[in-house]
Amino acid sequence: MVTLRIDDQEVTVAPGSTLLDGARALGISIPTLCFLDRCEANSSCMVCVVQVSGRKGMVPACAYPAGEGLEVRSDTPAVRAARKTALELLLGDHSGDCLGQCQRACPAGMDIPAMIRQIAAGEPDRAIETVKAHIALPAVLGRICPAPCEGACRRKDLDSALSICLLKRYAADVDLARPDPWLPPSRAERPGKVAVVGAGPAGLAAAFYLRREGIGCTVFDDHAAPGGGLRRGVPEDRLPRAVLDAEIALIQKMGVAFRLGCRIGDDLSLDDLRSSHDAVLLALGPVEPGRDGWLSEFASPRGIAVDRETFATGAPGVFAAGDALRERRLAVRSVAQGREAALSVSRHLSNGPGVERDTLFSTTMGRLTKDQLEAFRGIDKEARRIEPSGGRSSGFTPGEAGAEAERCLHCDCRKLGSCALRALAIDHGASPRRFRGPGRAFEPPLVHGNVTYEPGKCISCGLCIQITARAADALGLSFRGRGFGVRVRVPFERPLDEALASAAEACAAACPTGALLTAC
Amino acid sequence: MLEAVNRHGRGPSAVVPILHDVQDHYRYLPEDALQKVCELTEITPAAITGVSTFYTQFRHKPVGRHMISVCHGTACHVKGADQVTWALRRRLGLAGDEDTDSEGLFTLRKVACLGCCTLAPAVQIDYVTYGHLDADLAPKVLDDFLALARRTGDRRRRTVTGSAEGAEGEIRLGLGSCCISRGSGTLHDALLDALEKTDVSARIKPVGCVGMCHQTPLLEVLPPAGGSYLYAKVEPDDARAIVLRHFKPRGPLGRIRNVVSSLLDRLLTDESWEPVTRYSIDVRDGPVHSFLDKQKHIATESFGQIAPVDLDEYISHGGFEAARHCVTELSPEEVIDRVSASGLRGRGGAGFPTGRKWAAVRAASDAVRYTICNGDEGDPGAFMDRMLLESFPFRIIEGMMIASFAVGAHEGFFYIRAEYPLAVRRVREAVALCEERGLLGDNLFGSSFSLRLRLKRGAGAFVCGEETALIASIEGRRGMPRLRPPYPAERGLLGKPTLVNNVETLGLVPSIVTPGPSGSESFSRLGTERSPGTKVFALAGKIARGGLIEVPMGITIKEIVEEIGGGIAGGRRFKAVQVGGPSGGCVPAALSHVAVDYESLAEAGAIIGSGGLVVLDEDDCMVDIARYFMEFIQNQSCGRCTFCRVGTRRMLDIMEALCAGRARPGDLDRLEELAPRVREASLCGLGRTAPNPVLSTLRHFRSEYEAHIDGRCPAGKCKALISYEVNDECIGCTLCAQHCGADAIGLTPYEKHGIDAARCIRCGTCRNVCPFGAVEVRTGKTTGGD
Repeated sequence: MVTLRIDDQEVTVAPGSTLLDGARALGISIPTLCFLDRCEANSSCMVCVVQVSGRKGMVPACAYPAGEGLEVRSDTPAVRAARKTALELLLGDHSGDCLGQCQRACPAGMDIPAMIRQIAAGEPDRAIETVKAHIALPAVLGRICPAPCEGACRRKDLDSALSICLLKRYAADVDLARPDPWLPPSRAERPGKVAVVGAGPAGLAAAFYLRREGIGCTVFDDHAAPGGGLRRGVPEDRLPRAVLDAEIALIQKMGVAFRLGCRIGDDLSLDDLRSSHDAVLLALGPVEPGRDGWLSEFASPRGIAVDRETFATGAPGVFAAGDALRERRLAVRSVAQGREAALSVSRHLSNGPGVERDTLFSTTMGRLTKDQLEAFRGIDKEARRIEPSGGRSSGFTPGEAGAEAERCLHCDCRKLGSCALRALAIDHGASPRRFRGPGRAFEPPLVHGNVTYEPGKCISCGLCIQITARAADALGLSFRGRGFGVRVRVPFERPLDEALASAAEACAAACPTGALLTAC
Repeated sequence: MLEAVNRHGRGPSAVVPILHDVQDHYRYLPEDALQKVCELTEITPAAITGVSTFYTQFRHKPVGRHMISVCHGTACHVKGADQVTWALRRRLGLAGDEDTDSEGLFTLRKVACLGCCTLAPAVQIDYVTYGHLDADLAPKVLDDFLALARRTGDRRRRTVTGSAEGAEGEIRLGLGSCCISRGSGTLHDALLDALEKTDVSARIKPVGCVGMCHQTPLLEVLPPAGGSYLYAKVEPDDARAIVLRHFKPRGPLGRIRNVVSSLLDRLLTDESWEPVTRYSIDVRDGPVHSFLDKQKHIATESFGQIAPVDLDEYISHGGFEAARHCVTELSPEEVIDRVSASGLRGRGGAGFPTGRKWAAVRAASDAVRYTICNGDEGDPGAFMDRMLLESFPFRIIEGMMIASFAVGAHEGFFYIRAEYPLAVRRVREAVALCEERGLLGDNLFGSSFSLRLRLKRGAGAFVCGEETALIASIEGRRGMPRLRPPYPAERGLLGKPTLVNNVETLGLVPSIVTPGPSGSESFSRLGTERSPGTKVFALAGKIARGGLIEVPMGITIKEIVEEIGGGIAGGRRFKAVQVGGPSGGCVPAALSHVAVDYESLAEAGAIIGSGGLVVLDEDDCMVDIARYFMEFIQNQSCGRCTFCRVGTRRMLDIMEALCAGRARPGDLDRLEELAPRVREASLCGLGRTAPNPVLSTLRHFRSEYEAHIDGRCPAGKCKALISYEVNDECIGCTLCAQHCGADAIGLTPYEKHGIDAARCIRCGTCRNVCPFGAVEVRTGKTTGGD
């Protein structure tokens, strides 16, 4: 047996063990990408580096033999910095979109590709859940949103962008048309009461997500009817009031109290609200600090000043969101901020981490040419976007929605949840842009049978090569070339499924990124 | 195909030799042939794909009838390899990625280093090497080559004769790669001709490298009357004159024939004697004396005196005495003790104590062990191992014998890079001769010790100089290094304890364990305390007298550059010396008092490395030099670990941006963040030392980096940042216009010439040919215009 110390803890392991084995025995977590039990250590990714006493530099823990009396450090700033750089180098050469460009462009960060797949699968009831995870008023926004997502859609460089906004509206309209529209599953009520000032898009969205979190909330508004700028600033022909009323009614149904015709500053003071509530969220719409004297303590030249991460103002327990911060006249942004602020208030009330913020961490493929886009998903003919047969104001029929959804290129990574590279990158705060190169040449994915290989996402770890080499029925994979240009390839340009054969599932499961996957 | 398989076997380790054979046959690797190999052997399609695409010698596309290899070694780079490439591409009409001309006559490729740095910039066409080219000359060598190719068709093949019966006197002719490329092959033919025609019976002896590459082809004449005469830069036409000067023709017929023919010659040329004296140099002459005086020949003992593959001669010079002594009179432990006592450190670069390495292999528990001679010298700017293998193959074999005896190995391998065909051939011949003579095989020197040596040819991968990659390559895998430990001494070739020593290290061994106790002592008396002995360096670049030198450790850079090398060529200012190739660094002229030993050089930010010394002058841009080495490393990275595969690429991106004037202020910070990370966390020595050229130039020449960020190249080298302009000194001689390969200068006799910046490729030919100093290099945003 061999005894060594890792981070000042002694551990005894069998001869032939590695530092990684020792760390695991101690419960010390060392990140890995290219390592897999029962495979020979590739020592390729180098995110498992540690320092060994008496040796310059760092060594990969996955391969370094545990030696008697070794002193190992896995937690120094130098180690963390090296791991972060390794990740940044891999990310900088990673050509793939973690998130769809549409999702990254959406101010609310809605998981658009998932919604589209659900609509394509004929499951609008699941699509509305996806939509409402980020957007509280989708039927409203489905009519008035300028759709920045569509401007980012990769398909626009091929023929025309996906009709994302109308698809979202379709999901929302189908839902509203049901006798019992979808509501978030009710959570246990949590202590704490929140006053939301303003019943416009930001306030309504905040109320929605506060209730989703089980937090009691009252919405104050000086007008007689809720809706703010949505009711008073948008013409009826663009946004039928019945639609607005229906979505507000759903929010009301979640247990939100409305106090209408009540003007803060006149009818009630801010201090009144603060003393009767645990937190106050100001979602007032555009403000003029000069005119609204009671707001002067929060003033910045544009509106109310807040911390950009938490939406907290300088006053304890007072938050602000929407056009009150800066007039943008972009309802989707107000809706997004209302949600963000609500989740921040929720974290504030629980004095703890509360709901985790979404991470919009993503690498990107960069811009693709028309030819590359065609190769990307093997598209051989143009298919321009579908216009609703009843005119834009009538929205999609189910058939149209399904056909439009089928146009999606699915740029987003299908292994988002299981991608170890992304998880470690987020964990280490690694930036995909720090060591971004001049651009890795686009290589079209290989699709054979139910297996897809996206070369741009491959980190050349070699696990799939090892696994296929052991499968008797598989032709196998191999590295081609060397250095920066090294790629995993099928010998003699044979089909991918022949290369993987019975090892396909194992390879996809072992692949630490989204480079190799079997169809789900 | 079947033949190749029968020759090399069916196992996975046969893949590289089989691929060599397939390529020798088809001139590239057709996919059908590779599939056939897989059918005939145990080699899998995955393995053959991986291996055949790893090594750059293997080609997957058909090539032209002749292969032009443009050397991009360090010396060639600083002397204008890019311009040569440009001119050749233009002549062949190659556009974009094309590498073969439309007639399929020539394929142009870039090679890392041909190892003939004193000829820089050099180009090899098939087996003919052309040196000292420029953009103007380069296209002309194609015609010359084609003419030569036609001639050789009916040329009489003559074998090199080792001895001639009744010969009086000797003519020694260097036949190392450098000498051959400078015409010693033709000269050999001319000498044979001359001897035949004059009826002189002197013996012509091909000898190994003399080291004085700046004087090649070099001829040494030892007339019957005694004495020694050295002739440098000899032309074939001089052969007869030299022969007649020192030797008397035999018999009346010879004399008459000679008189007649020389009379004819005189009538035709009137200069049959004159040139000879012009080429004659004497060892006591100043330059030769300085070149040789500071040197100390151990690894290169008997340089220029013995024929490379003449076993009898090697033995008559005391060859194999050390091996006999070790095998018959010493125990392995005693041999190791002597090597340890000498203080010998590995000459491959890292300087690990050789005795300790041997002891580690000796101590291994496994009874089966191997020795490997690492002849994969790949550093651009280094060619000492090539010279040692070409010129002293028996000494290296003897070193292998002693090492194998000491560590208890009965099988050894020479791993020699494919770019050194002559070294491969000579070592093969030498091994075969030793086997015939019973110097290799069973019961050597009547003992129970047996040893077999085999030769493995590399296939174009610098990283195979790293011992674990080298082992992978011998085993028939991609030459990718793995983590050490375990070290090869513990787990090496085929999992067995393996000793890997560099060529030069092995070449020094026989002199250390000579019979009598003094060998190791006299070795350690040379050099410095921590770096004893001598080191062979390849001296090249902007130096007056380049060549191969063996000097005691501890000699200063100044002594090497000024005394041995004769200072900078062309009267320019000495700026720095690049030591240690892509793992090394640049030592500035201000530090030329630094001693050349392992520790002192490391302190100055360089390393001894394998021993390339490339001298740089004021015209060399240090940012460009660092970029050059990053590019080299980037091309040679195996691609295994993130830091080397991607990290060096990103470093190169920044270096390229600097040289192209595209760098932004934050780039130096990113470079300085990345370089130490690559150094500390790469998997193998290649990656760990890759940032050295950048770090050392940043340390000593930081202002040049800053100037590049401002869009200036102070040395006037980086093409994107400079322009050539004609000043008022121009008298309109038209020389520049005649030589401009890019048609950027209009022919305007008697008028001041102008350079079209859009066409100009900044090759500098105009500046070099102008007799009036009328062409200037301008740099900086203010003069750059666009």
